[in-house]
Amino acid sequence: MSVASRIGVGAYTLLLRLMPGGWRSTYGRESIADLREILRDSERLRGETVVGTTLRACLDLLVCLPGAWWAVLRPETAARGRDAPWGRPGLGERMTNVWRELKLAGRTLARRPGFSAVAVLTLALGIGANVAIFSIVNAVLLQPLTYDDSEGIVEFRHHAPGLDLPELSNSPGMLAFYREYADFYDAIGAWNSSSHNLAGAEEAARVRVTRGEPSLYEILRVQPFMGRPFNEADATEDGAHVAILAYDAWRSRFGGDPGVLGRTVEIDGRSREIVGVMPDGFAFPDEEVELYLPLWVDPDGPFGSFGMSALARLGDGATVASAQSRSTELLPRVLDYFDSLEPQFLEASGFAVSVETLRDRTVADVESTLWIILGTVAFVLLIACANVANLFLVRAESRQKEMAVRAAMGAGRRSVAASFLSESLLLGVAGGAFGVLFASASVDWLLALAELPRAAEVRVGAPSLALAALLSVVAGLSFGAIPMTRYVGTRFAAVLRDGGRANTSGRERHRIRNLLVASQLALGLVLLVGAGLMLRSFAELRSVDLGIEPEGVLTMGLNRNAGEDPEVAVRFYAEAAERVAALPGVRTVGITGQVPLASGSANGGSFYIESKPRQEGELPPIALYRPVGPGYFESLGIPLLAGRPMESLDWEEARRVVWVNQDFADSYFDGDALGERVAWGLETDENDQPLPDAPWAEIVGVVGDVREFGLADEDLRPNAYFPLLVDGPVNLDLRSASLTIRMQDGQDPTALIPAARQAVRELSPDVPITATRTMEEIVSEAMEGTAVTMMVLAVATAMALFLGAIGLAGVISYVVGQRTREIGVRVALGARSADVSRMILRQSMAVTAAGTLLGLFGAFALTRLMEAILYEVSATDPLTFVTAPVVLVAVSFVASWLPVRRASRVDPMEALRAE
Amino acid sequence: MGDTADDRGTRRRLKAAWFHILLALADGAQHGYAIRRSVKERTDGVVKLYPATLYGSIRDLSDQGLIEALEGEDDPDDDQRRRYYRLTPAGRDALADEVGRLQEILDQARATRALGGA
Repeated sequence: MSVASRIGVGAYTLLLRLMPGGWRSTYGRESIADLREILRDSERLRGETVVGTTLRACLDLLVCLPGAWWAVLRPETAARGRDAPWGRPGLGERMTNVWRELKLAGRTLARRPGFSAVAVLTLALGIGANVAIFSIVNAVLLQPLTYDDSEGIVEFRHHAPGLDLPELSNSPGMLAFYREYADFYDAIGAWNSSSHNLAGAEEAARVRVTRGEPSLYEILRVQPFMGRPFNEADATEDGAHVAILAYDAWRSRFGGDPGVLGRTVEIDGRSREIVGVMPDGFAFPDEEVELYLPLWVDPDGPFGSFGMSALARLGDGATVASAQSRSTELLPRVLDYFDSLEPQFLEASGFAVSVETLRDRTVADVESTLWIILGTVAFVLLIACANVANLFLVRAESRQKEMAVRAAMGAGRRSVAASFLSESLLLGVAGGAFGVLFASASVDWLLALAELPRAAEVRVGAPSLALAALLSVVAGLSFGAIPMTRYVGTRFAAVLRDGGRANTSGRERHRIRNLLVASQLALGLVLLVGAGLMLRSFAELRSVDLGIEPEGVLTMGLNRNAGEDPEVAVRFYAEAAERVAALPGVRTVGITGQVPLASGSANGGSFYIESKPRQEGELPPIALYRPVGPGYFESLGIPLLAGRPMESLDWEEARRVVWVNQDFADSYFDGDALGERVAWGLETDENDQPLPDAPWAEIVGVVGDVREFGLADEDLRPNAYFPLLVDGPVNLDLRSASLTIRMQDGQDPTALIPAARQAVRELSPDVPITATRTMEEIVSEAMEGTAVTMMVLAVATAMALFLGAIGLAGVISYVVGQRTREIGVRVALGARSADVSRMILRQSMAVTAAGTLLGLFGAFALTRLMEAILYEVSATDPLTFVTAPVVLVAVSFVASWLPVRRASRVDPMEALRAE
Repeated sequence: MGDTADDRGTRRRLKAAWFHILLALADGAQHGYAIRRSVKERTDGVVKLYPATLYGSIRDLSDQGLIEALEGEDDPDDDQRRRYYRLTPAGRDALADEVGRLQEILDQARATRALGGA
């Protein structure tokens, strides 16, 4: 049985405890044995999930719960039922009883509005937070992707750690290889996605485009809702002339025009006919895509040009695991398939393949974070329940006499129990109802906080409502049951006799309350440690040396049509940079192909070094490169460590010069790189050596290292910077570029946006401008995931600490109240107020100490689960594990202060007179 | 309890879950999970009896004397803990009554014009 099934059976077994004892002993074992069988079936059958089946079985149990209890609690009606045939004997009467009990409970609660409001609000917060997060977890992690039969779709990619390339997608050669050998796939479809200029719709724009082989759309099982799908004839070598619109783009860019089929649009200046519109709700890989184009992959393509993603549909009987192991088995055959590969290539590069379901790939980045957040809010709910249970216990004390009187008047224990349960149930249900309102209000806010995959699918729907109902009932029953257990066994006569004071169960009731508070504090401490670890991660992230100075820098993306003469594009960028530089407040303007941290993509590959000819079988050196204009290093504050700065003549004359970063110089030239000559993509002779007249580029400068791919990208990478136009040693992609604009000190970069856009528009109105953002925005987006997790944990921790402190204060106040007489006697016998304070404080600190100890164990066990989302901080970080308990003890101390002061001021005369 | 079906039960509707359980037991004694399976098969997966409903109904049906648990009849291939249930004569009557009632409704429905009746 899988882990999920085991957890399911465990949860069900726990829930079964809610059933009456007789029911459980007669049918409990059979029920659990059945559930095991049912879940085993679910694992085998398609279309049923273990989680779904468990939820349905649990829900079924909860629905049956009232019936089972009423049959026991109302023995007289149940007995009468024996005489009647199989209908529903006495049901009307039973319903009347339930109704009466609930009305009574409602009236009792209404008489104590303060108590009821606090209880309902506490529960609403706890349940609401859980429902909101669960709605997100359910949509993002639990539901299958919206594609038809999506469990059969996998994504495969390659890795070559030996080449410093942990992520390697797919190449035309590898696709052909799998198409030849991988019989466990029904179909394979390659795709990539990029941005292009769109003209011919209502206005010119930059749009996201997915290019996929016709088989890709078959794997996703999508049919246009209007028009026709792509066919093999569309995917041609010279690029096809057809396009399919996404539904939303059809609505927004073409006004939902039903006659859109056959219309022509221009994509990067090339005409394409619209042949279809995708159905509403279809998006691949995400909602931002507006246009789908066919992709042609050369069946005789090379092994080496990796760069496209690939999906596959599993064949009959194949699973992700079997596809993974069989793909791994296939890999050695690439040596026979591609003549160009050296025999030692596989071993030296560590070339490997990984196969994962599309669902796992889609949510991989957020999965652990979401589960941790769900766990966190579950803790908050537990704390909230403990708090309400405590409130109930306090109130139960004051109702002892009322209960005793009811018992004396002939009310059975069952009816006393029923009245407790109906009150707590009513509170639980009210808390749940408010919680759902709270959740539906906060889900959108939560989604706005962080960019999540599949966010469009999130809603507070039936599963969330079911969870809210389940939580309300379970919470209501559990905190109602705690005082009830105390009552059902109480000897009421004794209570009446001694006025509810010194009966024996008092001490035990204390123990329950202390236990509740200690566990609240323990849970609070676990959250505190979690929040502390996130805070430390965040601080570490902030202190990472990015290698740039982001303050006061604005970036602005400019886009030209693909296929345009590079020189025309570069002249345009340079002219735009010059115009922006002339604006008031601007210090320097640079041009770059990619802004650091802003895009995941980069150009790069193996290169040649003139002074170190390649040996046979040796792995080539690899580095990234990008085109930059003069002023780039200065505008981002990247220091020039050696050599000369870049000047305009470098690109105007297309000089063969290049700048490299420190890591490049260290990796390949032991730090002394100036004067060395390098080149990418050279033509080579039959021995893989560059031709004698190869266009080498000379290294004329060394600059500081920059974290190009994000704060948590652990490795620096060798990087080369070419002038915008260069003749020979490299191929530069200049379709789009960004201006990096550094303002003079103290000037706000955002204030420049309108003027900068205007300056570019004057130069050319048709060039789409994208992503006008400050460098600081880009940096904070790169930290977003950590920041959001930290914030959610911090809010949850604050709530938990607050609730825990209230709980502790309540318990200590109560203790003081109970012991007033004793304290009075002590004071009368000569105890000083400091002695009294110490006595009470000792009790409060004992509870705190127990909670702290418990919490430390819990934190130690649970924070390991956070390892994946921590940055440069160990899950058992000593600083956090010392600080968090100190904070907890301080909070407890403050919470006990008021009641302790009250105790120290007890007037012995008053206290004794009250007797 | 032999008189249950005769004197006043003929027009009273049997709960759906009860009807399916009685029907499943009509061919012989079965244990709980087997009942669930045959109900699921018979209804093409539409009716799924989860444990609480199943055993709640079994308890009610036993209380009403319509079914009874067989003690000491162990299937050697099966889990020792499973108890088998079988119809009592009263249960058989109740099932027959319900089938008769459904038959009557069916006949009436077939007689309407919408379904090609007269």
